[in-house]
Amino acid sequence: MLQVKNIEKYYGSKNHVTKALDRVSFDVADGEFIAIMGASGSGKTTLLNCISTIDTVSSGDILLDRESIAELPAEELARFRREKLGFVFQDFNLLDTLTIEENIGLALSLNHDNPQSVKKKVDEVAQKLGISDVLSKFPYQVSGGQKQRAACGRAMVAGQSLLLADEPTGALDSKSSKNLLEIMTQMNKEMGATILMVTHDAYSASYARRVLFLKDGRIFNELLRGERGRAVFYHEILDVLALLGGDISDVI
Amino acid sequence: MTLSKLSLRNAKRQAGDYLVYFFTIVMVAALIYAFNGLIFSVEVQSLSKQMAQVPMMIVLASIVVVCIISWLVSYTTNFMLTRRSREFGLYVLIGLENRQVARLFFWENLIVGGCALVLGIFLGNFLFQVLRAIIFTLFGTPYYFSFFFSVKAIGLTLIYFVLIYLFAQLKSLRRIRRMKIYDLIYFDRQNEDAVIKTSSRRRKIFAASIIIGVLGTFLLMTDGMLFGIIGAGCIIVFLYGFFLSFASGVPAFFDKYPARKYQNRNLLVFRMLTSKLAAMGIIMATIALLFTACIISEGTGMIFRSILQNRAKPNSCFDLILSANDEKEETFKVCQNYILKNISVKDSRQYNIYLSDNDDMTDFVSSNTGYYRVYEYDPVMGKSDYDALRDMLGYPPVTLKEGQYLIHCQPYVEKVLKNWNQVISFGGEEFTLKEICTEDFAQHLYENSGNGFGFIVVVPDKVAEVCPISHVMYTVLTKEQVSEEQYNTLEQLLYNEWEHNGYDNTVFHSKAKEEADVAVMTAMMVFPLFYLALVLTMTAAVILTIQQLSETNHYKRQFELLRKLGMERREMSQALRNQFFIYYAMPAIPPVLIGVPFIVNLAGLVEPGIMVGGSHPAVIAGISLGLFFLIFGVYILLAYTSLKRNVLPD
Repeated sequence: MLQVKNIEKYYGSKNHVTKALDRVSFDVADGEFIAIMGASGSGKTTLLNCISTIDTVSSGDILLDRESIAELPAEELARFRREKLGFVFQDFNLLDTLTIEENIGLALSLNHDNPQSVKKKVDEVAQKLGISDVLSKFPYQVSGGQKQRAACGRAMVAGQSLLLADEPTGALDSKSSKNLLEIMTQMNKEMGATILMVTHDAYSASYARRVLFLKDGRIFNELLRGERGRAVFYHEILDVLALLGGDISDVI
Repeated sequence: MTLSKLSLRNAKRQAGDYLVYFFTIVMVAALIYAFNGLIFSVEVQSLSKQMAQVPMMIVLASIVVVCIISWLVSYTTNFMLTRRSREFGLYVLIGLENRQVARLFFWENLIVGGCALVLGIFLGNFLFQVLRAIIFTLFGTPYYFSFFFSVKAIGLTLIYFVLIYLFAQLKSLRRIRRMKIYDLIYFDRQNEDAVIKTSSRRRKIFAASIIIGVLGTFLLMTDGMLFGIIGAGCIIVFLYGFFLSFASGVPAFFDKYPARKYQNRNLLVFRMLTSKLAAMGIIMATIALLFTACIISEGTGMIFRSILQNRAKPNSCFDLILSANDEKEETFKVCQNYILKNISVKDSRQYNIYLSDNDDMTDFVSSNTGYYRVYEYDPVMGKSDYDALRDMLGYPPVTLKEGQYLIHCQPYVEKVLKNWNQVISFGGEEFTLKEICTEDFAQHLYENSGNGFGFIVVVPDKVAEVCPISHVMYTVLTKEQVSEEQYNTLEQLLYNEWEHNGYDNTVFHSKAKEEADVAVMTAMMVFPLFYLALVLTMTAAVILTIQQLSETNHYKRQFELLRKLGMERREMSQALRNQFFIYYAMPAIPPVLIGVPFIVNLAGLVEPGIMVGGSHPAVIAGISLGLFFLIFGVYILLAYTSLKRNVLPD
């Protein structure tokens, strides 16, 4: 469904250029759960921003459902984001003036969905995510885990085909993290959601089916979980991280 | 880096949000100074002895202004304190005493106030020139630009400002001193709660407030001081009840109809608003109150001015009018001698106004208009007197054939008299109407002293002369304006004569005096009312604007997220616009609904023939609203352009 072809991204002025992404290529199939790992500054978020059309690539191409997103005009890009992409950010990014229900319903409202059916759809998603009882509350009244589940709800309620998660467990405690990752796995397995998750946490990455390792803007390694158990996969990830070397010591 | 530098830097960072507040304070300082200028300007005061009453009215208006601006400064200072409380908390955390922080904040505000005062006085000088030009024009005196500098005016402005800041600052000083670090750091975290929580009570309050509001508006429009005061009280209760119950009622409405919430951009607009309204119920009500007062002040000011000007205008065709209920030839002898000796006369005439033997026409006019009945019988004038007066005033001559009469009336009476087709009879002889003339003809003087009131019937001399005399008139056109001194002498002479000989009902009217009266009354009543209106609008608009601009960062984050979620820029701009429109319209709608009927009703109470043309009640209401929205619009535009530029992603 998603093809990333040889993309490069440069930042900075003429005299001082930083290469954030260096000939990155990979494919994401329908229904896959992929984690992208790497240390701070390795280009993870830049890659995610390019895929999510929030940022543009310097060269190369990104195809979603065989459609090149680089060629889309601004209006189409906006439509593309609201119809096909769902976002989950590290700091939740819920609107604090809206209730949890409204934050989830916002995605449908932006899509000009039939207003009559919004409440029903939101209720369904909330049921699956286990946040039905906090729907009428405002973000500051609920816990971090609940907020992040609400963000997941917003990312999938409108039937978006690709869920992009940027360090979704970054601000959560271990119990809430585990809970969220299980929900994401469930979304992936039961609802067929394609998930692309950026993380520097090996534990989070072990929930994915495939892990891409990024170092200095390049894909350094790739791990497939296959039929192995999560615990085994977790150790394999740690091994790769050890290989990545000293500057990734903040990972784990 | 010293603390004061740090504080200055922090203040600068937030200055953008408060620039509009600063300019408002500058404008207020300019207004206060300009009006103080009127008090202390010898030149303005010497225009007329009556100008001596003006300072008191200005001081009274200034006291109200000082109260309102104290509230504004206190509100804004508190608002700034809330937004900077974390910074101050940090100062306390690193070891500063509350007292020191309070002093820091105090000086910061004092410097801002001081700068505003200096700029305001500079600007106020120009504003003073405008006021001076208006007053001089009203008096018909030529004026020249001259730099105005009055230590007394500056002193009084300074006293007002000290009062304003003393009140506001002491409050915040006390607040900071008593605060604990925790309070300071978490001051801005206090949750905004709906004031009225239960929905049944809210609905009751909402319904009750609407009823009280309608009742109050009607009471305001009835005669009588007591009803007026009760009406004003009702309006206040209505505004607070309405805004407190409305702000917390909107979420309840959408809870009931969730589909409406998700329609179009409703969700965003509604939440942006309710988060503000819930916290601003009381402030919104206060703003609406200020707006109501402002629209009413503007309307009342304009009605006053129209009354003064339009009452004087129909009589201003003659420079001097003397009248007395007497039949003797020498009625005005003493006055005439004085006039001929002291005033250069262009033309003059003494004549009688007679009364018919019936009041058919008076009845007809008063039953069809709000005509104020002055004469017991229809007033009548002889044709030769009429011809002479027309000639004196430069109006084209009119002819009258045997058996005909004509009517000279004010334009508003003409409309009614067009349907008058009766034949009138004098001494058994019948007369038919030839035509109606409507030029200015001194027909708006009370107590049977003019050429009729509203209208007069003109008949051949021989017919008029057999009728009973109502009063004797002596009208004069002068070559030069009659001075205040000459007026006073003439009035005294007329009074003396009346006292000696028992003359009943002498009336003396001078065009110059009337114009001076209009000018003095304008300076005394209209200026202070507009002064108040201006300050009220600016105060309310600036509070609304500060509230909006202080949310810039919040809006920015929100729109950035919405962009990520795929909202188009056009839609964001639309949502922002809608939110803006509703936010600014909310506190303006009730005042318009209260103010317009009030103005139209007040203007309708005036006798007919006055509130016409440019002074028509609808025009006055329109201009009052126009003026109000003009100033309000400037603030809306400032806030909108600033927010749109800073908030919407590129």
